[in-house]
Amino acid sequence: MGNLLIENLSFSYGEKCILQEFSLHLPLHGLTAVSGPSGCGKTTLLRLLAGLEKPSGGSIKGVRPEETVILFQEDRLLPWRTVREHISDVLAKERRAETEEWLAFAELEEERDVYPDALSGGMARRLALARCCALGGTLLLLDEPFAGVDARRRARMLERLKELGTPAILATHEQDVVAACQNVVSLDGPPLRVV
Amino acid sequence: MIRKNDFIKKCLKILLPLAFWLGVWQIVAVTAGFPLLLPTPVSVGSTLLELAVTGAFWRSVLCSLGRVLCGMLLGSILGCALALLTWRFSIADLLFSPAIRVIRATPVVSFILLVYLWVTRTRIPSVISALMVLPVIWSSLRAGLDSVDPQLLEMANAYRFGCVKTLRLVWLPSLRAHMSSGISTGLGLAWKSGIAAEVICPPRYAIGTELSKAKTALQSPKLYAWTIVIIMLSLTLESVLRRMLRKKKGRVIP
Repeated sequence: MGNLLIENLSFSYGEKCILQEFSLHLPLHGLTAVSGPSGCGKTTLLRLLAGLEKPSGGSIKGVRPEETVILFQEDRLLPWRTVREHISDVLAKERRAETEEWLAFAELEEERDVYPDALSGGMARRLALARCCALGGTLLLLDEPFAGVDARRRARMLERLKELGTPAILATHEQDVVAACQNVVSLDGPPLRVV
Repeated sequence: MIRKNDFIKKCLKILLPLAFWLGVWQIVAVTAGFPLLLPTPVSVGSTLLELAVTGAFWRSVLCSLGRVLCGMLLGSILGCALALLTWRFSIADLLFSPAIRVIRATPVVSFILLVYLWVTRTRIPSVISALMVLPVIWSSLRAGLDSVDPQLLEMANAYRFGCVKTLRLVWLPSLRAHMSSGISTGLGLAWKSGIAAEVICPPRYAIGTELSKAKTALQSPKLYAWTIVIIMLSLTLESVLRRMLRKKKGRVIP
């Protein structure tokens, strides 16, 4: 079990500085909540860790971008694929049999043949989360993973997420999610800083 | 029972307006009393039946269809290739986009007469159909390519879909609606412009040639009969195409 080392990371969107020599050390095990006000730079931090944005300075050590899997802030579901197909699309042929398990993970067994336009916001979020977890990686980067999911389901899914054993960083606002995580980092910004 | 009722409703929806307009035609034709200008639907129908039993009729129909479909295929291939090229490379966009817009703005008759200088009579309908289809397919595909959701493409990249999977799961379904409307409009245009080219530059076996002959010989029932053939073929092609392009996707409410 190693650590994720973020050293002097800098990033700007045009003129707006989001990260300025930001440093953070995180343990690469269990669930880590990063919480903070909207727009403080949590999403940008996850995108930098996933390699979707290039930092203007600094370094990330401990995990390579291609080893991470990101759950985007938006569901990004394909309107022409069913719930079941969304899961099987990210599974390699030899893992297709796991599709039902991942549907159970998201509690979407009844909706397996449904298209995204017929899902509620919470259902779509659960599907997006299940798809991300099914893809698998060394580190899960989950941006608002339980947005729109009711409290009971959220608790059950958090337990399943822990049982997976894959280290995950969760950018979240929900206090119950923060409380359930092993590690918590409070952030503020921009520019992003630990409080 | 419900299915039977639906079928009857569908038939009535087609037959009722048809019967109404045939009735109006019959009344106007009889009242006017100028069979040279407006023959009755009965005389047109019997002429159509007489034509339909001859081999020459089917040869003309098949040759015209073949030419138009060849033109449609050629125009579609060129339109797709140019859309990809102008979307991907700004220099190609700078060079080709105005030229394609000029093609779209040029009247079909001008094209027919210009192409007549360069191409043999038999090939003119195909070339004209291709020229009419090209801008339609080009603009549809360009609009489709511009409208593909970048968030979905980023997701496909982040989830390591690879080229083939991204093409199959993101690009092609996103382009489908744009291409369906483009192909549907293009086919209608190809058919009409192809027949117009056959009328102006009549090849040996063609619907347009038969139309032209009927007009010269003042055979009004024949002229109307061939026009009906064109309309029926156009509607049939449109219906076949619609079935082929129909979305496979269903919608299940949980």
